[in-house]
Amino acid sequence: MSDLLRLPAEQSYAGELAALARGDDAGKPEGWKLSPRAVLTYLLGGEASDGTVISPKYVGRRRLMETAVATLATDRALLLLGVPGTAKSWVSEHLAAAITGDSTLLIQCTAGTDENQIRYGWNYAQLLAKGPSPEALVPTPLYRAMQDGKLCRLEELTRMGSDVQDTLITVLSEKMMPIAELNSAIYARRGFNVIATANNRDKGVNELSSALKRRFNVVVLPLPDDMEQEVAIVARRVNEMALGLALPVPRNAQEEIARVLTIFRELRSGATLDGKTTLKTPSGSLSTAEAIATLVGGLSQAAWFNDGRLTARELAASVVGAVIKDPVQDKAVLEEYLETVLKKRGPYSAWYAALNEAI
Amino acid sequence: MDEDAAAGGISFFGVRHHGPGSASSLVRALDALRPVAVLIEGPSDASGILPMLAAPEMKPPVALLCYPEDDPAQTSFWPFAEFSPEYQATLWAARHGASVSFIDLPSTARAADPPGKADRAGGETPEEASGSAGEAPATPAGEVEDSPEFRDPVGVLAAAAGYQDGESWWADLIEQNPAPGPVFGAIAEAMAALREELAALPEFEARREAHMRLAIADARARLDGPIAVVCGAWHVPALRAARAKKEDRALIKGLPRKKSVMTWAPWTAPRLAFAQAYGAGVAAPGWCKHLWQTRQRHDGASLWLARIARLLRDKGHPVSTAALIEAERLAMALAAIRERPKPGFEELREAAVACLFGGETLLWRSIEDTLLLGDEVGEIPAGAPLAPLIEDLQRQQKQARLKPEALQRELALDLRSDSGRFRSTLLHRLAILGVEWGKPLDKGGSRGTFRERWMLAWEPEYAVQLVEKLVYGATLAQAANGWLAERLGQASALDELAELIRAAITADLPEAAARGLAVFEEKAALSSNAAEMLAAIPPLADIVRYGEARASDTGALNALLERLIVETAINLIHAARDLDAEAAEQMAARIAAAHAGVRLIEPDADILDAWHKGLGRVLDDARATPRVAGGVAQILYEAEILAAEDAVDLLGRRLSPGTPVLEAAGFLEGFFLASAARLIHDEGLRQAVDGWLLRLDEEDFVAHLPLLRRVFAGLDGMERKRLIAAALGKGPALPTGFIPAPDGGALWRTHLEILRALLTENSNG
Repeated sequence: MSDLLRLPAEQSYAGELAALARGDDAGKPEGWKLSPRAVLTYLLGGEASDGTVISPKYVGRRRLMETAVATLATDRALLLLGVPGTAKSWVSEHLAAAITGDSTLLIQCTAGTDENQIRYGWNYAQLLAKGPSPEALVPTPLYRAMQDGKLCRLEELTRMGSDVQDTLITVLSEKMMPIAELNSAIYARRGFNVIATANNRDKGVNELSSALKRRFNVVVLPLPDDMEQEVAIVARRVNEMALGLALPVPRNAQEEIARVLTIFRELRSGATLDGKTTLKTPSGSLSTAEAIATLVGGLSQAAWFNDGRLTARELAASVVGAVIKDPVQDKAVLEEYLETVLKKRGPYSAWYAALNEAI
Repeated sequence: MDEDAAAGGISFFGVRHHGPGSASSLVRALDALRPVAVLIEGPSDASGILPMLAAPEMKPPVALLCYPEDDPAQTSFWPFAEFSPEYQATLWAARHGASVSFIDLPSTARAADPPGKADRAGGETPEEASGSAGEAPATPAGEVEDSPEFRDPVGVLAAAAGYQDGESWWADLIEQNPAPGPVFGAIAEAMAALREELAALPEFEARREAHMRLAIADARARLDGPIAVVCGAWHVPALRAARAKKEDRALIKGLPRKKSVMTWAPWTAPRLAFAQAYGAGVAAPGWCKHLWQTRQRHDGASLWLARIARLLRDKGHPVSTAALIEAERLAMALAAIRERPKPGFEELREAAVACLFGGETLLWRSIEDTLLLGDEVGEIPAGAPLAPLIEDLQRQQKQARLKPEALQRELALDLRSDSGRFRSTLLHRLAILGVEWGKPLDKGGSRGTFRERWMLAWEPEYAVQLVEKLVYGATLAQAANGWLAERLGQASALDELAELIRAAITADLPEAAARGLAVFEEKAALSSNAAEMLAAIPPLADIVRYGEARASDTGALNALLERLIVETAINLIHAARDLDAEAAEQMAARIAAAHAGVRLIEPDADILDAWHKGLGRVLDDARATPRVAGGVAQILYEAEILAAEDAVDLLGRRLSPGTPVLEAAGFLEGFFLASAARLIHDEGLRQAVDGWLLRLDEEDFVAHLPLLRRVFAGLDGMERKRLIAAALGKGPALPTGFIPAPDGGALWRTHLEILRALLTENSNG
């Protein structure tokens, strides 16, 4: 047993990958360890030819994964878009692990990421001693992926500034990166590609420049389609977190989870669950992750200030916080929702009152 | 087709209705076979007008209509698109001089025993039911269990192979089997297997197949040479089977007969689609047409992507050629992963979403209808038999005892009587169809009453108008419903929609009204444009009131209107801010009109509360345009939400020295424009205004004279006198105005000055 906190996917699932590779005699794109179909089996679960059970890594629409794998097989870069908590990074890691057996060539993009962290940096001691030379050059994960014909993962692409994003344009369209200082260039080997992930709803991220967007095939990972599935995900996470924070979970928590999620899902999808009433959608993403945060916040308030009783009052403030990101428009959206939907819904009368108070 | 040739020179081609893949295989197979006769699944008594289908003036999509002579509402239709195998077979026969005929049960049997009759008794009016569920050759809705195997057996086979689109499956099948013969053989085998799994056929189906078998045998006996039978793939095993003629004759013996009328009618591409409730349709006529048109080419995928790109560009999304290339490459990679010989509909769709739409399926949905349904309308030759719409009109005219006369004639209707309502409905429906036989004389005037007055005058071109509308339905009610539904789809503004809904309810077209309400609900929910919402309230309120005169159910509309009122109230505050003079004027007028509408329907207390609350927020909002705030204050004052003392305080505050003169004037105008007479009786209000006027310096006063004149223009001479008297402190009871008191002080003189200026301005104006 390893004493590391978490292993990369290619090591945690080494057995599955090896079993798939053994039985995989289909054609493989150059640089790939598995054929595209075997990669799909690895992602979606199934059985290897020797009977090894492959656990599903992604539960959701098969077509999306097919598009993702096919994209990487065409040497086009792949952009996984989605609101927080839709398994973008998880899918990206497993794709890299299955295709090239290495998911560690990773650049975490932040507002502070500069070009040197994308292209290459310099070892300044060497640079001062010898001047610009290949020895003074410090390769980045992208550089090494080009060199070795592997997949480079860019996490949260839109968190870094647009000017830095644009560094990727040459790499993606010409498959090369000039090194002006050395008057040379590095050319990507076959098998090189980029998987980027980005958040498409949150405010405060940089726009993806259209020049760059054109160079990606985009797959949008959706929030869970199914209410039951989402309730289960949230309930599991809330219980885990409550355990970690030593918060008691009251018996009615399940009910309130369902109510919070009903409100979130209705506002998010722009229609009531029965599909009869159209609604405006607020500007926030109302993701599963936010629902979890809302509920954990409510549990904490209930535990410390309300003798452990969880009611709409404890949750209302954080629900309002999650919905109203724009003080003018979103407020009107929520008010409309309250007046035209929740008001008439019997079991939600406490919610109607609490939200009205919190607005 | 050796096996078939052995069966007496009869070749069976089991096709997919409206399958372009079947159509192109069929044409090639016919070219190879060169039959002397082509027998097609379709009502045998319509064989006489079948050759007309091949006429050059006939432009598909068109439909064969058959309906009982006395009841066009029971129309059955058999649509044909350019890519329908049946249409291509007819064209082939005409080109090669082969005889062509229909072999299915005659429409008379269908008319007398309309399939699914029992279902229709369940509360729907006949109009609604047959308007939505058209019987297609393969889908007598209701009679046969609605099993997918029956409706689209090829689609079932495709789905079993993991395809969403049956045509892509067929295309791949052909790719693997280049000769057409074996394809039809393979399909027949598959159908035999499918049919074995299913229980016994419903009786109506068994009769149809018996009729077809007899017709085929009859043709065989009459003709020498190869015969081609074109029918739904489903029927092939049964038609090929050897059955004793006696048994078949016994089966179809005693079929009910009812005289039916047959004709051709233009059709539209969207009505070929499943989504339009036509059972034997296809998911995407646009895709089928594309497949048909590119059947001879190898760049079909590129053309399809180019069409998508063009639609996107039309919508203002830039799409580069490079992106199209990438989309096609991705589609090919997807096809490879799915182990399909070439990209089909699904691969192209998913590739387009990933490469052209930035992953946004919403964007795809925005072009989906145009792309997949298309907007084609068919044409029929001038010589086609009389259109059922005209017959329906003649019948209804007789029933309403109204003769079409060119001379103008006035007609007064009492909507409380059945005959009055019937005539009114007829005239309204015709008006919707563009046939203005009757013109309403009191348009907009007396909607609340039980009377209607019309001016009747028939013009010959009205008949042409009706024939053009045939594509929307075979009866006046169906056509008016269909035509309104189409216009509802195009309307974007809420008030426009409200007018269409009103037309639908007035003309007693519940289907279009329901559709209109659904569209309106969605648009209203998504709109934050309070101005538009305000404008939609009066016509809707009107319908709710007017509906009572027509005994129509306005429950849904009422609920919708109440929601609209609540939403408007919430959004009102933003709409009332930062308006210039003209916009403020307009907004105040809209609020007043909407308020009248709200009062008209007498809503529940909580709706009224919400509405008043919304108005109150505008009044309390520091950023609200004063002109609008004044108007709102007046409404609330009249509604007694704003108490008299509060109104005085409010005016005092709004007209206090701290308020810029321009804003104060705006508020004053808003408040008093409709209620200057209040000033005569309400001393508190009067004093507030009085105080403000006195404080104005000369320049401001002169500048606001036009405004003051406007405010007081609504008063008649007597009221003005009383106002002056009141302002002079003589009390409202003073009989003659304006007697200067000899001891009038400085205050009095100021009043006099101001009022004189005011009144002279006024009388000059």
